[in-house]
Amino acid sequence: MDFAVKFAFDILAFTSVMVLVVLGLGVIASMMGIFNFAHGELVLLGAYTVYLSSELGLGTWPGLLAAPVVVGLIGLVLERTIIRRFYKAPIIAMLGTYAIGLIIREIVRGLLGGHYKSIPEPIGGAFSIGGLEFSIWRTMIIAITLAVIAGIYLLLARTSIGLRVRGALENPMLARACGISTGHLYALTFTFGAALAGLAGALIVPLYQLSADIGIRFLVQAFLSVMLGGVGTFEGPVIGAAAVGSLAAWLPWVVTPVLADPLVFVIALAIVRLRPQGFITVGRL
Amino acid sequence: MTMNRRRLLGGASALAAAGWLGSLTSGFVLRPRWAHAAGPIKMGIATDITGPIAPSGNANWQVAQFTVEEINKAGGIQGRPIELHLEDTASDPKIAVGNVRKLIQERKVDVVLGGITSAMRQAIKDPIVNRGRTLYIYPQLYEGQECTRFLFNTGPTPAQQCDRLIPYLINTLGKKRFAMPSANYVWPQLLNKYARKVIEANGGEVVFEEYYPLDQAEYSATISKIRDGKVDCLFSTIIAPGLQPFMKQLYESGFQKNGGVVTCVYYDENLLNYHPAHEMEGLVSCLDYFRAVNDPFGNALQEGYERKFPGSKYLFTAGSASTGMYRGVKFYEAAVKATGGKLSREEVAAAMDKAVLENGPGGGAQMVPGKLHARMNMYIAVCRNDGGRTRYEVVDRAEMVDPREC
Repeated sequence: MDFAVKFAFDILAFTSVMVLVVLGLGVIASMMGIFNFAHGELVLLGAYTVYLSSELGLGTWPGLLAAPVVVGLIGLVLERTIIRRFYKAPIIAMLGTYAIGLIIREIVRGLLGGHYKSIPEPIGGAFSIGGLEFSIWRTMIIAITLAVIAGIYLLLARTSIGLRVRGALENPMLARACGISTGHLYALTFTFGAALAGLAGALIVPLYQLSADIGIRFLVQAFLSVMLGGVGTFEGPVIGAAAVGSLAAWLPWVVTPVLADPLVFVIALAIVRLRPQGFITVGRL
Repeated sequence: MTMNRRRLLGGASALAAAGWLGSLTSGFVLRPRWAHAAGPIKMGIATDITGPIAPSGNANWQVAQFTVEEINKAGGIQGRPIELHLEDTASDPKIAVGNVRKLIQERKVDVVLGGITSAMRQAIKDPIVNRGRTLYIYPQLYEGQECTRFLFNTGPTPAQQCDRLIPYLINTLGKKRFAMPSANYVWPQLLNKYARKVIEANGGEVVFEEYYPLDQAEYSATISKIRDGKVDCLFSTIIAPGLQPFMKQLYESGFQKNGGVVTCVYYDENLLNYHPAHEMEGLVSCLDYFRAVNDPFGNALQEGYERKFPGSKYLFTAGSASTGMYRGVKFYEAAVKATGGKLSREEVAAAMDKAVLENGPGGGAQMVPGKLHARMNMYIAVCRNDGGRTRYEVVDRAEMVDPREC
């Protein structure tokens, strides 16, 4: 029993990290049809914001709260200046966002001197229930992830902004004809996706080390999640991320860890082959 | 706007341009302040100035500059100053081969020092030693078994890092059940092979030896194996970026609290900031130098280095190959002095084979004749936590440990 609880907690915690990272990517891919290759670097910038605030002696909390705002604003600037030129050419968009990501990554690498930095958890330590120890920060991440998913769902399903976003997604021409400014909506969506990336980076960096490559390591699995879940819905990428995250955490228990990594891809690609539309094909938001 | 060939080409060439910009930093000459009629001795440094290995590479480049400046200030080698030529190996063996060839063919250097990872050493040794007919000095601690003629290794070997450390763990700390969590590449694999022999010869037992992708982020399966196997000592060769999640999950599992010991033989002063202090406490490392050794010569070197590079992010440490770089430059100086200033590869190599350094960080060193590796002092240090600040405490030292290679 003890073992099962601990096992479930570990898998849930890692799956939450995966979902957090994928959320922003999924929102942008689904709503705008753009695969944002700079997503990993937006995650990095979120993490870097926390590092800056702790370096300035403010502690990690201000950085954690500021990260979504700062990265969201950076996202807005990127969308207004560069990304909006790519909407009609998704392949160029991939190259372009990759280049943006490369520039951000190498700048941060320079600022860090290439070193790895440890960031303390805003709330460290562990609590115990029935003799089992649980890390407080991992529990927080699980809770925040659930809250963020619920929040986004309500935003998209229950508010007029959500209605307009979904309308623009279904049929941009018709949406424009109805007086909805799709340009503004896209800017808003990209800002929102970037802010989510910033939040993810800020939340997960205490679990890992801050280094220029922190975003990249999750990026490939994040893309796989979006592919697996299917583009065009909000739930799809979330479910995809949950599947990839739990596979990645569970497989090392049963096969040698070196094999676990490629196996995640093999299994996920097999699923994509069987269900090319993704998990969710009906019942869009 | 639809996708067409022109737009695709435009995008692709912008990317390529970004790549070229990145490589503009390579190729750099540091000329001495004075000259000699016979011209300078040309020393090539091929190291990782950019990319993931850049922290160690930059430390190596700075230590090379510092050491060469000291030699030049003291009158050079046999009256001739040293001129430094830098090529960036960019943490990428494919780029490195071309850049290293430049050092040899265009700059015509007399010796090449550098390379941090074993993959890099393997990539550049052939262009330097075989096709390039030049002497090569490799400065990093590594997995051993490099016995190429004209390739001198100045960092510690598995024997130097394990022969004293493992008996210390077993006999002094009383640990018997070892586990070897490792990153999946050549250094951990060969180091583990050697360490396992020493563990078993001393009456210890290896419960499991396991390899992970370098960037693995989730270790709960490993932690549970450590718990279930009643492991009391981890011989870890996990490296960043997989390092911090591992250490964090290990600490959260209560391994150290329950008396477990972590040992990791590349942990130097750089690594002190990689984890929160409480996760570092009690960690055991074994290297050829720590600042905590507190030897007058090493302290003077640190002061001089700090004066030349005030507040530098790149520390003069053992784990980043900096001590090996210092020894490499000084061994070469000693060898050229012994040949009376002759620079031909055969003559310098013959003198290098018997070279002795009186002093260095952590003590002197001497090449073992015919073995291409150096004897040096080795230190075992334990990480202490003074109210959130980490430092090493040297608990054991061994004089002139044999590399036992070749």
